[in-house]
Amino acid sequence: MMISPLLAAADTAGVGVAPAWVLAIPFLPMLAVVLTTLCAISKNKTKLPAWITVGCLAGSFVVTMLAFMTLSGETNTVTAWRWFDLSWGDGVGQQMVANLGFYIDNLSLLWMMFVTGLATLIAIYASEYMEHDVGKGYTRFFFAFALFVFSMLCLVMGDNLLLLYLGWEGVGLCSYLLIGYFYKKPEAVAAAKKAFIVNRIGDLGLAIGVMLTFVHFGTLEYAELFNSAQLQGYIAAVQEGRAGDVPLMAQLIAVFLMIGAFGKSAQFPLYVWLPDAMEGPTPVSALIHAATMVTAGLYLIARMLPVFLVSEWALPVVAWVGTITALLAATIGMAQFDIKRIMAYSTVSQLGYMFAGLAFLTSTGGVFHVVTHAFFKALLFLCCGAVMHGFAGQLDLRKLSGLWHMKGWRIVSVGMLIGCLNLAGVPFTAGYFSKDMILAEAFVTPGYGYSLLGWVLLLTAGMTAYYTFRVFFRVFTGPVQFEAGDEHHGSDDHGQDGHAHEDHAQGHFHPHAPGIRINAVLATLSVLAVLAAGLYFVSPDKHGWVGDMLEESTAHNVYTADHSAAAMFVIDGDTHGAHGHDDHGHADDHAAHGAHGGSILGMDPHKVMYYVSAVFGLTGILIAAWAHGPKGLVSGFIGGRVEAGKCRMDGVAAKLGPIPRWAENKWYVDEFYHFILVRPLRVCSHIFHMIDKLLVDGLVNLFGYLPRLLGRGAQPGQSGVLHGYALSMAGGVGVILFIVVMVTL
Amino acid sequence: MIATLAQAGFPEAMSGLTLYHYLFISAVMFVLGLIGFVTRRNLIVMFLCTEMMFQASGIALVAFSRFYLEYTGQVFVIFVLTVAAAEAAMALALVVLLFRRNESLDGSVWSLLKG
Amino acid sequence: MISPIILYAMIALGAVGVLLALPRAKASFALPGFLIGATAGGIVIAALGSKALADGGNLPNMYFYVFGFVALAAALRVVTHPKPVYSALYFILTILATCGLFLILSAEFMAFALVIIYAGAILITYLFVIMLATQAPTEEMVENQPAFDRVAREPVLATVSGFLMLAVLSTLLAQGVPTLKTPPAPESDALLAELPLRIERSLRERNTLGEEGGILPTESLAREVMQDGSAGQYIIDVANRTVTVQVDAEGGARRVVSWPEDLALTNTEGVGYELIKAHPGAIEIAGVILLMAMLGAVVLARKQMQIDEDAKRAQAQGLAGGEGAAS
Repeated sequence: MMISPLLAAADTAGVGVAPAWVLAIPFLPMLAVVLTTLCAISKNKTKLPAWITVGCLAGSFVVTMLAFMTLSGETNTVTAWRWFDLSWGDGVGQQMVANLGFYIDNLSLLWMMFVTGLATLIAIYASEYMEHDVGKGYTRFFFAFALFVFSMLCLVMGDNLLLLYLGWEGVGLCSYLLIGYFYKKPEAVAAAKKAFIVNRIGDLGLAIGVMLTFVHFGTLEYAELFNSAQLQGYIAAVQEGRAGDVPLMAQLIAVFLMIGAFGKSAQFPLYVWLPDAMEGPTPVSALIHAATMVTAGLYLIARMLPVFLVSEWALPVVAWVGTITALLAATIGMAQFDIKRIMAYSTVSQLGYMFAGLAFLTSTGGVFHVVTHAFFKALLFLCCGAVMHGFAGQLDLRKLSGLWHMKGWRIVSVGMLIGCLNLAGVPFTAGYFSKDMILAEAFVTPGYGYSLLGWVLLLTAGMTAYYTFRVFFRVFTGPVQFEAGDEHHGSDDHGQDGHAHEDHAQGHFHPHAPGIRINAVLATLSVLAVLAAGLYFVSPDKHGWVGDMLEESTAHNVYTADHSAAAMFVIDGDTHGAHGHDDHGHADDHAAHGAHGGSILGMDPHKVMYYVSAVFGLTGILIAAWAHGPKGLVSGFIGGRVEAGKCRMDGVAAKLGPIPRWAENKWYVDEFYHFILVRPLRVCSHIFHMIDKLLVDGLVNLFGYLPRLLGRGAQPGQSGVLHGYALSMAGGVGVILFIVVMVTL
Repeated sequence: MIATLAQAGFPEAMSGLTLYHYLFISAVMFVLGLIGFVTRRNLIVMFLCTEMMFQASGIALVAFSRFYLEYTGQVFVIFVLTVAAAEAAMALALVVLLFRRNESLDGSVWSLLKG
Repeated sequence: MISPIILYAMIALGAVGVLLALPRAKASFALPGFLIGATAGGIVIAALGSKALADGGNLPNMYFYVFGFVALAAALRVVTHPKPVYSALYFILTILATCGLFLILSAEFMAFALVIIYAGAILITYLFVIMLATQAPTEEMVENQPAFDRVAREPVLATVSGFLMLAVLSTLLAQGVPTLKTPPAPESDALLAELPLRIERSLRERNTLGEEGGILPTESLAREVMQDGSAGQYIIDVANRTVTVQVDAEGGARRVVSWPEDLALTNTEGVGYELIKAHPGAIEIAGVILLMAMLGAVVLARKQMQIDEDAKRAQAQGLAGGEGAAS
C-alpha cells in the first residue's frame, strides 16, 4: 500500500472556482418562490404560478445541462456570499465559517440534473393535475414545489454540511407542507405530522453528526474536510489495518450521519412515514417521495463516503438495514391493494437496494440505481396519478380493470408497462442493469454475511417483479370494469360541479382520460426510462456512464480504494493475496473484480447475475401472470381473470392463513411503534401535563391566589365611604406622628 | 388701634413661647377641621372643613413668618389661598353636579369604591 | 413649656367637649360640649400665659386672646352646627378672627387679602351652592334638617384620632419650638436699599408736604458714573440712612439727604417684593391653575344630566341600598 488513491486524487485534483452563472441553478427556483409568493399576495386566481414554476425550473435545468457540459469532471466551488463567520479564538476548530457556496463535482451534477429535469417535467404534469384547485391551493402548491426544488438543490449543491443541513430541513418542511396539502382531510394532516416527526429523529442524528464533524475536524466545508490531513490519516490507518487508531469520535460521526440518512430515505426502522406520505397530491409523491427527496440520504452517504469508510460499523449496518428494508417493504407491497401504496412500498424497497449498494462499496451501483429509479418510479407514480385523476381518486386495484382497452388510456398503459418492466428488472431495461450491479457486488464484497444479504436481495427482486406486475395485470389488462372513487375533483375541472355530483350519485360515471400535458410528460418519461438503459453501455469498462461520472468525485475515489480498505478491517489484516490489488489503480478495476475472490459458482459475479436476476425477475412476473393475468392468451396458465375483483390469488391467500392479512396490515409495525413508542410517550406526556398543571401551574396560581386572599381579607375595610378613608388617613397620620414622638422622647 | 397693631415693617423679635401660642391655636383649628371633615356627611360642610384646615396652616405659616422676620411664610399663604380658591371652584362645581345626579348632599351615598 | 399633665388632661377634656358638641340623633349636648371645650382650651391658653409671665412678662398681645378664642369657638361651631348655612357663616367668623391674628402678627396684606378672597369671594360661593344644592323645603320639614346633617358619623373614632393627633402635635411643638434659633436682626433697611425709587418717592412726598429735607422736582437720585460714562448704581448709604441727590442735571453739584425718620418697608411692599423676587415662576403657575380651575368649573357645572327621572330614582335607591348594607 503506497499511498491512498484518495490522497493522491485530493492532492492533484484541487478545487477550482466555478463561473458565477452556476448560481442561477438554485436561485431560479428561489425566484419562482418569490414570484409565487407575489401571486399569493395579489390573490392570483389563474394558472400563472404553474407557468412561473415551470419556466424557472426549466431555466434551472438548462443551466444545469450547461454546467454539465462545461464543468463535468472537475471539482469547482462558487460562493454567493459569506453566510456564517463565527470565531471565538484562534485555535483549530474555533472558527466556524460557512459560505452560501456551491460545490460542483460529478456527484452533485448527477443529482442536479435529474432533480431539475424531473422537477420540470413533473411541474408540467402538475399544472394539469392540480387544475381543479386553481384559485384555491394552486399557488400554495407551486410555492411549496419551487421551494422544495430550491432546498433540494441547496442540499446537493451546498459546499458545506451546514448548507446541506439547511436544504435537508427545507425539503423536510416542503414535504410536510405538500403531504398536508389537502389539509381538510384528517388522514393527510396525520400523515404530514407523522412524516415530520419521524423525520425529526433522523434529522437529530444528522444534526449531531454535523456538530461532531465540526468538533472533530474543525471544518464543515467539503473541500477542506476531504483534504484534511486528519481524515486522510484515518483512511490511511484503516487501509494499513490499523482501524483501532481511528478515534471513536470519528467513527460516531458516520453512525449519526447514517441515522439522518435512514430518516430521510425511509429505511427501517424509520420508513413508516413514507407510505402514509402518499396522502399528498400524486405529483408530489412522484417528485419528492419517489424520485428526489428520499434519495437525499443516499446522497449524504455517497458524499461523505470517506467519513463512512473510517468507521468499522457504519457501512455493514447500512447494508443490513438496507436489505431488511428491501425485504420487509416488498412483503408488505405484495399484500396491498392501493396501487399508490404499492408504489410507495416499492420505493422503500428500492431505496433499501440503493443503501445496500452503497454499503457493498459500489457507489456506482447505488447511484446508478438512484438515477434509473428516479425516472421509472416517477413514471409509475405519474401513471398512478393519471389513473387516480381519471377515476375520481380510485386507487383500489380490485375495483379497476382493463384500462389498456379503454379509449384515451393507451399512453398511460404503455408508460405503466415500461415502468413495471424496469422495476421488475426485466433484462435490458435500465432497472435491470442497475439492480444487477448491486446484487453482484453483494456476493463479491467481503463482509458480515454479505452473501446472505445477496440471496435475500435476489429473493426480493423476485417479489418486486410479482407485486409490480400484479398491479399491471389487475389494473391494465382483463375485462373493462371500474368503480369511481369518492373524490369528485375529476369532474370539477369541467366546471360543472353540481351536475357532476348528480352523475356520481346516479352511477353514470365517465372516466376522465388524461389531457395533452399529462400524456406528453408520461411519454417523455417513458422514453427517458427506456433510454436510461443505454447509460450502462456508455463506458462499459467503468460500470457505465454513472461509473464514469463518479470517477471524479469523492464517492468514486473511495470506491477504488474500497476493497482493500474493507478487506483490511473486515478480515482483520489477514490480507488475501487477491485483495491487495489496488496499487494498479482503477482502470482495470472491472477486470480485477473477477480475480479477487468474490465469485458465484466460479464465474464473474456480474455475468452470473445477468442470468440469475433475470430468472428471479421473470419468475416473479410469471407468478403474477398466473395469479392475476387476464383471461385469454394462454388460457389455463396465464390469468383466467374475468372480473375486476376476483383472481386465482384469492384461493392461494386463503390457504396461507393469516399471513396475507398480516402483510396487508404492514406486519403491524405501525401498531407496534404505537405500542412501544407512542403510547409510553403519551403516558409520559400525560404525566408531565399533570405535573405541569398541578405543580407548576399550581405554584403560579398560588402566587396569584395569595394576594387575592389578602385582598379578600382586607376587602371589608373598603367601605367605599369617603369618611372612612379620611378617618383612616387621619388616624394613620396620628399614629405615625405618635411613633415619631415616642422615638424622639 | 389698628395703627398700633399694624406697625410699619417688623417690630422687635417675637419670643418662642409666643410662637407656641399661635402654633397651638393653629393645631387646634386644624384638628377641629379634621374632625369635622370626618364626622360631617354634608359634602359642602366637608369642604368647609378642608378650608378650615387651610386656615390653620395659614396661621402657622404667618406665625413662623413673623418669628423669622421674613416674608416667605406669607408668600406661601398666598399660594395656599390660590389653591384653596381653585379647589373651591372645582369642588363646588362637582358638588352641584353630584347633587343634580342624586338629589342629595350626603357624602356617604357615594360609595362606589366599596370592595 | 407647660406641664404635660395639664396639657394632655386638657386635650382629653377638649376631646370630650368636642365629642359632646358634635350633632347627634336624639339629645343635643351642644352647649355643654361647647362649654367643656372652651374650658379646656382656656385652661391651656391660661397655663401658657402664666408660663410666659413667669418667663419675664413676654405675653402675647392682649388681642391674641380675643381673636384666638373667637377663631376656635367659631371653628367648633362650623364643625358642629347641623345647618350648613350656619356653618358657612361661622366659618366667615373664623376667617375674620384669623385675620385679626394676622394683624397682630403684622401681616396686614394677608389679613385683608383673606377677608377679601375668603370671606368675600369663596364663602359667598359656598353660600350660593348651599342654596342651590338643597331641596326646596316642604311644609312639614321646615325645621327638619336632613338626617345626614343632623347625625355625625363615627364621632368617637374621629374625635379620638383627631385629638390623639393634637396631643402628638403639641408635644412635638413643645419639643421643637424652644430649639428654634433666635431670629436675626430686622433687614427692612437692607431691603429698602434695593428699592431706591421708593426712597425717592418718599423724599419727594416730604417736599410736597412742605417738610424739611425733601428733594425738589428738578432733582433726582444720583448714580455712580462708570468709566465708560454710563450711569451705575444709585448712591445709597444704608448704614447712615442717607442718599446722594443730583442737584444739577448737567452732572455738577450733588448733595446728601437723609432718609425720612419713619421710612420703612410696609408689609404689602415686603410681601410683593418677596413674591416677585423669589417666586416669579410660581406666580405664573398659580395664575394658570386659577384659569384652569375656572374653566373646569364652567365645564363641570354647565353639563346637563341626561338621566330621566325614573332612572335617577332607581339609581338613588340602589346607591342608598348599598350604603345601608355597608353600615
